[in-house]
Amino acid sequence: MVNDLVVEATDLHKEFQRDAFQVIALQDVHLTVQKGEFVAFMGPSGSGKSSLLYIIAAIDRPTRGRVKVLGRDLLQLKERAMADWRNENIGFIFQTFNLIPVLTARENVELPLLLTHLSRQERAEHAATALGLVGLSDRMDHYPRQLSGGQEQRVAIARAIVSDPSIILADEPTGDLDAQSAQEILTILSRLNRDHGKTILMVTHDPHAARHASKIRYLEKGQLLPEGAPQPE
Amino acid sequence: MFRDTLGLALKNALRNRRRTLLTVASISISLFLLGVLLSVYHAFYHQEGPPEQALRLVTRNRVSLTFSLPEYYEQRIRKVPGVRELVPSSWFGGVYIDNRPENFFPRFATDPERIFEIYKEFTVPPEQLEAFQSERTAAAVGKSLAERLNFKLGQRVTIKGDIYPVDLELTIRAIFAADVENQDFAMYFHRKYLEEALPQSRRGMVGTFGILADSAEAVPRIARQVDDLFRNSERQTKTETERAFQLSFVSMLGNVKVFLLSICGALVFTILLVAANTMGMSVRERITEIGVLKTLGFTSGRVLTMIVAEAVLISLAGGLVGCGLAWGASGVLRQSQLMLSGLSFSPPVFLISLSIALAIGILSSLVPALGATRLPITSALRHSG
Ligand SMILES: Nc1ncnc2c1ncn2[C@@H]1O[C@H](COP(=O)(O)OP(=O)(O)OP(=O)(O)O)[C@@H](O)[C@H]1O
Ligand SMILES: [Mg+2]
Repeated sequence: MVNDLVVEATDLHKEFQRDAFQVIALQDVHLTVQKGEFVAFMGPSGSGKSSLLYIIAAIDRPTRGRVKVLGRDLLQLKERAMADWRNENIGFIFQTFNLIPVLTARENVELPLLLTHLSRQERAEHAATALGLVGLSDRMDHYPRQLSGGQEQRVAIARAIVSDPSIILADEPTGDLDAQSAQEILTILSRLNRDHGKTILMVTHDPHAARHASKIRYLEKGQLLPEGAPQPE
Repeated sequence: MFRDTLGLALKNALRNRRRTLLTVASISISLFLLGVLLSVYHAFYHQEGPPEQALRLVTRNRVSLTFSLPEYYEQRIRKVPGVRELVPSSWFGGVYIDNRPENFFPRFATDPERIFEIYKEFTVPPEQLEAFQSERTAAAVGKSLAERLNFKLGQRVTIKGDIYPVDLELTIRAIFAADVENQDFAMYFHRKYLEEALPQSRRGMVGTFGILADSAEAVPRIARQVDDLFRNSERQTKTETERAFQLSFVSMLGNVKVFLLSICGALVFTILLVAANTMGMSVRERITEIGVLKTLGFTSGRVLTMIVAEAVLISLAGGLVGCGLAWGASGVLRQSQLMLSGLSFSPPVFLISLSIALAIGILSSLVPALGATRLPITSALRHSG
């Protein structure tokens, strides 16, 4: 079932140079994710969760190691091809929503589609569908500042799924939200995983949030603990 | 694609309306000044005179304009091949009413029979021309001068002499019009009248000779031959095209060319710094957003284009407003001041001004945009603010 491997990371290392120091963000990370999995990553601050997500999203490159996503060796891609690849295959959700404040909800959701060959009309339709999926059909022409945090994050999810990517990466998507909004977001993510077959990798600090995932993986000091290892205290 | 980028750029430009408005305002004020200065420069150095001007030369004293030439030079210049006609004229100076600039205008003592033969761009109604020529104390005034000082046919005008020790009592008998707007701002009167009023010792001198050549090709040769004629005389001549003569007049104001251009340069440089500072500020505030756009698949080049387009929109808006102001101002200046009678905010000046606005937009945003878009996405996303 090699075809069903969505992520294959081998011996990943990531180091950052900070002034005179060498900061190790990831070391010896081996990770495989199957199609349709919902994996939660947990670990203390600075353990390398975001770094891992960025490498899988083709936002950053590892210092060493190999990473194949959807069968594509990301290290072979040049800058431009990486951008196109992200646009087609990755939906990324941030902790701080990161909507563009001068654009309405619909315009924000349309952004990734500006890079496709879709017509104006088709873009509007896709955006409306995506916003419908997150329950914001009635907020399409609102600006981010006119929305609540939970609504903003739902717009961000709509933006992440509008180009129908296979993988959704979420970096602490509920970190800035109250319990109820967080629950709404997790429900949407679960639905995307269950009903739409999206593979989801989610970083979270919240054990309750992690329970929505089909699998939890722990990171510590840049190392991915073995699957099934007991939760570190 | 292009339209979307432009749309995004426009929305970003309107993000901080007050800052954008202030930037547009400062660019428009600078471009307004620049436009006026360029118009002045253009009027001085690049404007084509009337087509008749290509056939005309001016002979003056080699030493300087303030020295005169003997009137008998006329007979010898006339014999130079290619000279079709020539006319003596003397700058009278003097004071009309008082010394205020609004009462100043050029007054020339000349030959009424020939002056309009040589300056063909001036048209005079035939009966007025006859009246001007047949009366010893008659004067002819340009139409824009007449409008400015409200001169009417038959009006008596007194001009107190200063260079010449005589007061002139003139009657306006003709109003002539130039085929180019606002070039008709001088007064002409009979040289004979001035001569008769002068003491014996000051008679027989002429300020300049205006020469009309047979053909434009003959002009350089005539200039050489006329000056050769008087090479060994006590008063040597300098003969040049009328255009060159006018420019030498301008250069009496000092090195106007360098002066104008350096002000323009300083102006452009200053506004470039202001614009660069503003663009730098607005780009820095958006580093995270740039990281987000790149995460969504926007390439650095596209984000860069968007930022530069935004700056260009702002600076072109400022440029257009500034050009509009400069256009209005040069109209007002043209009406009011003699030195600037040729002033107009012409299409070349408009194009140069807008190109400068465009360049300011591109240059001011390129450096911050390059810096921001080259930043790795991870660094951009970690950027706070
Ligand atoms: N761009 C960068 N430059 C320098 N150091 C970095 C950079 N990105 C991450 N690091 C460092 O790498 C290590 C791992 O960072 P990472 O952001 O992956 O941690 P994290 O698990 O996501 O933490 P958090 O829970 O606080 O988000 C940290 O020590 C961090 O300071
Ligand atoms: Mg993180």
